[in-house]
Order: sequence, then C-alpha cells, then structure tokens
Amino acid sequence: MKFIIDRFDGKKNYQQTYTVEKKDIEALTLLGTLLFIKQHQDITLNFTASCRMAICGACGVRVNGHSYLGCDTKMTELFEAYKDADTFRISPLANYTVISDLAVDWEPAIENLRKIKPGLVAKDKFSEKEGCVQNQEEYDRIVKQWDCVLCGCCASECNKLSADRSDYMEPFVYTQAWRVANDSRSKDPMIHVKPAVLNGLWNCVHCHECSNRCPKHISSADDIAGLRALAMKKGLNSGVGPAHAKSFYTDLVEDSGRLNEIRLALRTEGVSTALRAGTAITLMRAGKMNPLEIFGGHTIEGHKDLVKMIEAAKAANKE
Amino acid sequence: MSEQFTRREFLQSACITMGALAVSTTGVEKAFAASSTSTPNSSGMPTCDVLIIGSGAAGLRAAVAARKKNPNLSVVVVSKVMPTRSATTMAEGGINGVIDFSEGDSFELHAKDTVKGGDFLVDQDTAMKFATYAGAAIHELDYIGMPFSRDSKGNVDKRYAGGASKIRCNFAEDKTGHILTHTCLDDALKNGVKFLMDHHMLDLSIENGHCEGVVLRNIRTGDIAPVRAKSVVLATGGYTRVFWNRTSTPYIATGDGAAAALRAGLIFKDPEMLQFHPTGVCHGGTLITEAARGEGGILLNNLGERFMKRYVPNKMELAPRDIVARSIETEIREGRGYGHDMEAYVLLDVTHLGKEKIMKNLPQIRHIGMLFENMDLVEKPIAIRPTAHYSMGGIHVTSLDTMATPAPGLFAAGEAACVSIHGANRLGGNSLCDATVTGKIAGINAAEYAAKAGFGAGKRLNDLTLKWTSHFKEITGSGKGNVNDMYALREELGAANWYNMGIFRTESKLLALADKHAEFQARYDAIRIPNTNPVFNTAYTEYVELGNLLLASRAALMGATARKESRGSHFREDYLKRDDANFLKHSMVTMDEKGQMHLDWKDVVVGQFKIEERKY
Ligand SMILES: Cc1cc2nc3c(=O)[nH]c(=O)nc-3n(C[C@H](O)[C@H](O)[C@H](O)COP(=O)(O)OP(=O)(O)OC[C@H]3O[C@@H](n4cnc5c(N)ncnc54)[C@H](O)[C@@H]3O)c2cc1C
Ligand code: SF4
Ligand code: SF4
Ligand code: FES
Repeated sequence: MKFIIDRFDGKKNYQQTYTVEKKDIEALTLLGTLLFIKQHQDITLNFTASCRMAICGACGVRVNGHSYLGCDTKMTELFEAYKDADTFRISPLANYTVISDLAVDWEPAIENLRKIKPGLVAKDKFSEKEGCVQNQEEYDRIVKQWDCVLCGCCASECNKLSADRSDYMEPFVYTQAWRVANDSRSKDPMIHVKPAVLNGLWNCVHCHECSNRCPKHISSADDIAGLRALAMKKGLNSGVGPAHAKSFYTDLVEDSGRLNEIRLALRTEGVSTALRAGTAITLMRAGKMNPLEIFGGHTIEGHKDLVKMIEAAKAANKE
Repeated sequence: MSEQFTRREFLQSACITMGALAVSTTGVEKAFAASSTSTPNSSGMPTCDVLIIGSGAAGLRAAVAARKKNPNLSVVVVSKVMPTRSATTMAEGGINGVIDFSEGDSFELHAKDTVKGGDFLVDQDTAMKFATYAGAAIHELDYIGMPFSRDSKGNVDKRYAGGASKIRCNFAEDKTGHILTHTCLDDALKNGVKFLMDHHMLDLSIENGHCEGVVLRNIRTGDIAPVRAKSVVLATGGYTRVFWNRTSTPYIATGDGAAAALRAGLIFKDPEMLQFHPTGVCHGGTLITEAARGEGGILLNNLGERFMKRYVPNKMELAPRDIVARSIETEIREGRGYGHDMEAYVLLDVTHLGKEKIMKNLPQIRHIGMLFENMDLVEKPIAIRPTAHYSMGGIHVTSLDTMATPAPGLFAAGEAACVSIHGANRLGGNSLCDATVTGKIAGINAAEYAAKAGFGAGKRLNDLTLKWTSHFKEITGSGKGNVNDMYALREELGAANWYNMGIFRTESKLLALADKHAEFQARYDAIRIPNTNPVFNTAYTEYVELGNLLLASRAALMGATARKESRGSHFREDYLKRDDANFLKHSMVTMDEKGQMHLDWKDVVVGQFKIEERKY
C-alpha cells in the first residue's frame, strides 16, 4: 500500500510516498499507521497526537481531501470508504497555517475563541460559593456542543474559510459561542452573540460541510443558525447590515435553507464588509460596544502595546 | 502587515516582554527578538512575572488564580501541546468533593476515605484541608460554566467512586475531564491568560536556592531560549509513561517536571508510588474507567465467576484500585484469565445495565470498546487488564497552604506535585479536584510571591540554555542514527519497568531492573536522531522525554527498592505486610551534580484518623 503524504519542512512543500505492507496496518487506526511510518520508516515525519482515544482533538488530518480524527478512524473504515484503494493521500487540515508536515498552527484559532468570550458569566442569582442550578431540559440543550474537542475537522472542510478567511472564524468558534449563549445559567447571551456577529457570523454560506465531517456529530452550521436567530431576536436587526442579514436569514432559515448562487457570490464578494461595518457602527452608536472589544475586550497592559495593536489592526484592516 | 502579524503580535507583546537576548546562539534571538515590542530589560532576557508550565486543569487554574490575585502581573501558560491536549481531558469518571450533606457525608469522611485509600501514607492535615477545598471547588466550577450532569433537583449529580464511603463523585456524563478542561480554558481566556503553545520546558534553573526561570524550546522553530520569571508553577502532569505502552495516560505524561526538578536539585517525593488502574483495554492500555464499575459493571474470570467476592466481598468491584488491580492480576496468574502472556485478560461486563443506561451514562466507554477491541459493550463483556494510571509521587511541595517547593519562587501543582494527598494510592475522582484545588493555590501564591520578588540574575539560566543548545546539535546535528533506536528503547524501558516494578514487586526483580536501567542509560546516551531540521523536530522532543522517563524510572526504582513493605500501589511479594514502624514515611529522592541519586525519608503527618490495618 502507498501513502502519499504532504510534507512541509518549514521552508518547502513536497510530497513523499511511503510503502507499507497492508498486514502491518490493517488492524490499526489511522493514527496507528502514522506512528508506524514514523517509528519504522521516517523519523522526520511530523504530526500531533496525545490521548489516542478520540478526546483530545490533537490528531485531525485529511485523507484524500477529507478530514478525519486519526485515532478515531480504523484503517478498515478507510478501506471501505475508498473501495479498497491501495493509495491514500494524507494532508494536514485545510484552512490552517501548516507548521510542519501534518502539524498545524492553533494559535489563531485560540485567539478567535478568545473573541467570543467562551467563559460563562453566570446570572446574578448564582454564586461562586453555591454554584448554579440547571434542570435536565436546560442541560440537554447545551450538552451536545460541549462534545467539541477542538480537533479542527470542521474548519478544514469549511468552504467559507477556504474562500476568504479574513472575515470569518473556524466553525467550532461559533459552536462554542452558541453553547455558552444558549446556557440557562448565562446572564446575557449577547456577551457571546455580539462578538460572533462582529466576527463573521453572517458570512457562513451554510454548505453544511462542517456538520458532515465532525467526528462528534456536532453541526456548527446549525449552531450558527441558532446564533443568528438569537441575534435577530435580541434586536440586532436594524441598520444596513442586519437588513441584509434579515433577507439572508429568511433565505436560509425560513426558506429553502440554501442560498442561491447569485446571492452567494454577492455575499462573499462585497456584502459581508458592509454588514460587519454596519452592525458595528450601530452597536457603537448605541453605546453598546467598546470598539476595542474586537480584540477580545479584556484590559490590556501597557499603553505602548495598545497603540501598537491598534496600528497593526488598522494596517490589517486596510488590506 | 498580514493578519497573522496582528494576532501573533497581540499574543506575544501582551504576554512576554521579550528583549534582545543575552545568550548569543544562532537562531534564538530571531524568534524572540522578532516579536519583541518593548525595550530590553536590564539583563536583556525575556521575562514574565508568573510563568506556568502545563495547561491541564492545574496549570489553567493556576493561571486564572494568579491573574485574579493580581491583574497587573503578566501570566503566561507554557505548554508543549495545545492547551486542551492534556491528561485532564481524558478523565472520565468524575471529580470528588462533598457538596451534599443530606446523607451524612462530610469533609471529614472524604478526608478519612482519602487517608485510608492512600494506605495511611497521606499527611492527614493535608487531606482534611483538601477535602474542604474540594467541596468548594465543585461549586466554583459550576459557577464558571462547567456543565455537570444534574440530579432531579437541578443540582450537580454524583456517582460512586472506588474506595468512597459515600456517593460524592460529581460528574459530567463520562467526559468529566474533557468538560472540565474546556471549562477551565474558557475561564482562562475570559481572564486574559496568554499561552505559549508548542513550547517545551527543557530545564528549570535554581540559583542560590531561588528559582530564576526556565529554558524553553520553541518546538515550531527549534529555538532554545531562557525565560526569566519571578515565580514559576510546574504543572506538568505525571510520569506513568515509564510503563510506555501499559498506561492509560496520554503520550505527553513523561514526567518532564519531576525530572527537571531532580536535575535542579529538588526533591522527588514518593516516586515509587505509581498507581495501576484495574481496567485498561487489553490492547493498548486505554482506560475503561471506574464509571463502568460505578454504574454497576462486574468483573468475570474464565469460569464466569464474579471473582471480586474472593478478595473484597463487601465492596466487590468498588474496592480501591490497587486491590482490584492485584485481584485481576492474581486471577490471570492463577490461570483463571483468558489469553496468554501480555495478551491475557479478564472480562468486564456492563450488558445487564441495558442499552439506554449505557448510552446515556457511559457513551465514551462504549466508544473506546468499539475503537480498540472492535466490540459493543451493549452486547458483550469487554476484555480488560490493569494499566498504569496515576503518579502519586511528584515534586516535593512543603504545604497545601502554598504549594511552594523549598526553592523560593518555585511552585508545583496537580499530578506533577506531591503534597501528599494521595499517599500510596489515589482514590478515583480525587485527582481532578487535586489538580483544580492545588492549581488554584499555587497560582495565588505564585502571584503573591511575584508581586514582591525581583528577577534573578539569570547566569545559571544562561549556562543551561547554552548546554541545551549544544545538546540539540549533538543529538541531531550529524543526521546519523537509526530510525527505530529510540522507539525500541522506549518500548523496552516500558516492558522492563512493567515486569520488574509493576503490580507485583520483589527484591530480585528490582535489583535486576537496576542493571537494566544502567544499560538503558548507556544506550540512551549513545542514540543520535537522524533529523537535523530544527523546525518541529518531534523526534528530538521524544528523545528529551525519554531521558526524563529514564530519570523518573530510576527514582521510582530507588524508592521501590528501599521500601521493604507493601503499601497501597507498592506491593512487595517479599514483604507482604505494611510496616508502619519503619515505613510510615515518605521517600525523598534527590540527585547530585554527578547524577548520583540519594534517598532520604520524611515522617508522615498523622492527625485525627487512627492508623489501622486497611481492610475492606
Ligand atoms: C484516562 C484517564 C482517566 C482519568 N479519570 C479520572 C477521573 O475520573 N477522576 C479523576 O479525578 N482523575 C482522573 N484521571 C487523572 C487526572 O485526569 C489527572 O491526574 C489530572 O488531570 C492531572 O492534571 P494536571 O493538570 O496535573 O496535568 P495534565 O492534565 O497531565 O497536564 C500536564 C500539562 O503539562 C504540559 N507539559 C508537560 N511537560 C511539559 C514540558 N516539559 N513543557 C511544557 N509543557 C509540559 C502538558 O502539555 C500538559 O498541558 C484520569 C486520567 C486519565 C489518563
Ligand atoms: S456551513 Fe458555514 S461554517 Fe459550516 S462549512 Fe459551510 S460555511 Fe463553513
Ligand atoms: S465542532 Fe466537531 S469537527 Fe469542529 S472542532 Fe469541534 S469536534 Fe472537531
Ligand atoms: S490523539 Fe487525541 S483525539 Fe486523537
């Protein structure tokens, strides 16, 4: 059997083919196969793994273009899915910056998570001393999204991210925003919804690729729809952006659930910018938003750093 | 300016004030100086007020606590992986802590079970305080967003865990650790904690008795650099990978913290106390957690007997881990298991719980059954065998009040630390709250210390950095060496430790292991890694980790050989009895400059719980 692996050594990209006996790997998982190659054939091959039990999210890679969680995928499954093919192409997750071979950079994704303020701000009636109370129904509403292991498989498949990542975040970021906004213990869902809106919520093209590949069967696409509904319900529905948003929303949620091609093109090309700016201006006028919140909103130490970041942000925005 | 610049710049400028480096080694300055935003400080080394190594529950809680204690301090979490890839994520069963007193449970009972479970090697004052803090920690976790499973009243739900006299193991389905980690990450992000991921701590530097910082390797670039810190918290997790493929823990549990502490002249306490979990999957050691037995799962031998009735009739499968693990191994040894040699096993059966209950309360466990044994727990019992699971031993910490090591400025927390909560055997559910509780205390105290302290001179730190820089060159520079040398040695070390220092130990086995260790060390020193690329050289990372495992193995062996008694997880077939007259004390291992190890002892603190025979 052949494995063609996409490699990157920090300077150049290339492909390398590894030949292994089927009998050596057929009882293994995909991660097991990668380990087999590294430990027997090529010690320079790099990838990440930690738990080998499908819970830490470290081992997401692509096989023939589709994302898989390496330790959660048996080779027999792959043989079946690809009709006993004897060659597989293994690549790093798409829509991430590759550090080396199959290892990708998670730092930007973590900073995106920071933006939606994933930490719960509990209702005033709850306290650190006594904890919270939540009934089964309320718990059931959020527990699915808590399965997210931050493996990045959804982001790898996301068409919107591939088209233009400058005004969008990884699908799981919205999932996490939804899980906390939708939590009955949460004081104010808008703490998380607002930054989601400001960071691309309406730019999802609803292709559902993220949902198709999530190893935990989470649908970020649905979570995005949920966040949108919440945003509209909570009054983020006036101004230029939200007007577009509204028609977009009607299109998706109440209509066919799919965008037609023309609107899709329109949205990815131009409307998104107007939408974001529009919403942001509305919010700022209403005094609801500190413009610096786009950086994550916490206190920033050091004036110099602050100025520097604002400059950097301006520069980045201009591009 | 690219978008990447914005993010990187933001992350790094706000967290570490990286100056131009004093250490002039190729490449190093580039990595840090490129992101340098502020004027160099007096010594020119990168600095940070509170530096936390490790991003499991202990590290993340320490970081938040430090930020809350003093928001003016820079707090950075360093981790060799992405924050959520830690061992904490893998915990399933639950987290102990008394929050419901209606059925007669109390902090004292929790402490008592902990002391008894730990076979009295627990410092009793510590256990008592720990139990109190554990209760508070559960509410706090709930408050910061942890979605615990709920009882009918909407309160945190709980289940039985082995060795507990009351039901006090709080849980979030069977993904408690995963959910806990993500809750703690969210809270850390909320509190402005910054991360340096893919950074490997190689060593820490103690000068004039004070901790002055650590040597970090940026795995992404290969740059090795010193970082000075006013205080450092080691939250690097355990060292159970000394049994390489017979453990439930992740690949990263290589005892880096304990090894660095040893090299820096600190104390590795109770290193021989390694816990074996009774139920790993037969192939690969991955865990079928206590939750399975907590929910009512039973163990069966090849005669179809529920054999635990022979060993602990009143507790059966819910007896403490060490006892269940030994019972299983005994069954296998006496021919009542299935299979042979390393492939031998007994069965764990949950089928009688019914599909609905399994799907609701044990979904993760079922999944593991599918993945590793290719079978559905709903339909069939699963093949299991004991697996190394937890390190009770760790970096010696003087008291639970501060989690400080004897070296001012250095703190330790979680599984990496040993403040003697778990003694010779940890109870199920006690380590998540250990990590949560001790992490927080370490963070608070590290912040308090940092607010008052200054930076060390960093001279020794410099020297260490230079040493590591040339080490990288020496090990990888020639490009020579065989692919499999290191991996083969790692497996051999694991197997040798398992057979000679595993569940059953004897003098002769331990002495034989000492010879093996000497041979392994010599082979290790001669290994060269055929990868010259500094970028993400994971083979070199693994090489360094293997060195740490060797060191941890040697320390554990020293303790295991000297402790001529059986206590908790440390079971000597040649000294079957617990010997309180001689060994009611902690083993304290240190290493001198020449690499020679020394053993000392420290008395256990006895309190309100009477020392008695451990019977169930
Ligand atoms: C399968 C499994 C199930 C478990 N179930 C339970 C349970 O049900 N209940 C319970 O209470 N406990 C359980 N435990 C134990 C518990 O999960 C751990 O003991 C606990 O989470 C340890 O937390 P920690 O923060 O100390 O370390 P870890 O979570 O192990 O984190 C260590 C961190 O240190 C980092 N690190 C290590 N070395 C370096 C270095 N040199 N440089 C930089 N970073 C480094 C790692 O990247 C990691 O982020 C279980 C453990 C396992 C493996
Ligand atoms: S549905 Fe939205 S988030 Fe999901 S893949 Fe498509 S564009 Fe991306
Ligand atoms: S939503 Fe699913 S695919 Fe995306 S990161 Fe989370 S677990 Fe992975
Ligand atoms: S190694 Fe943890 S999810 Fe695969």
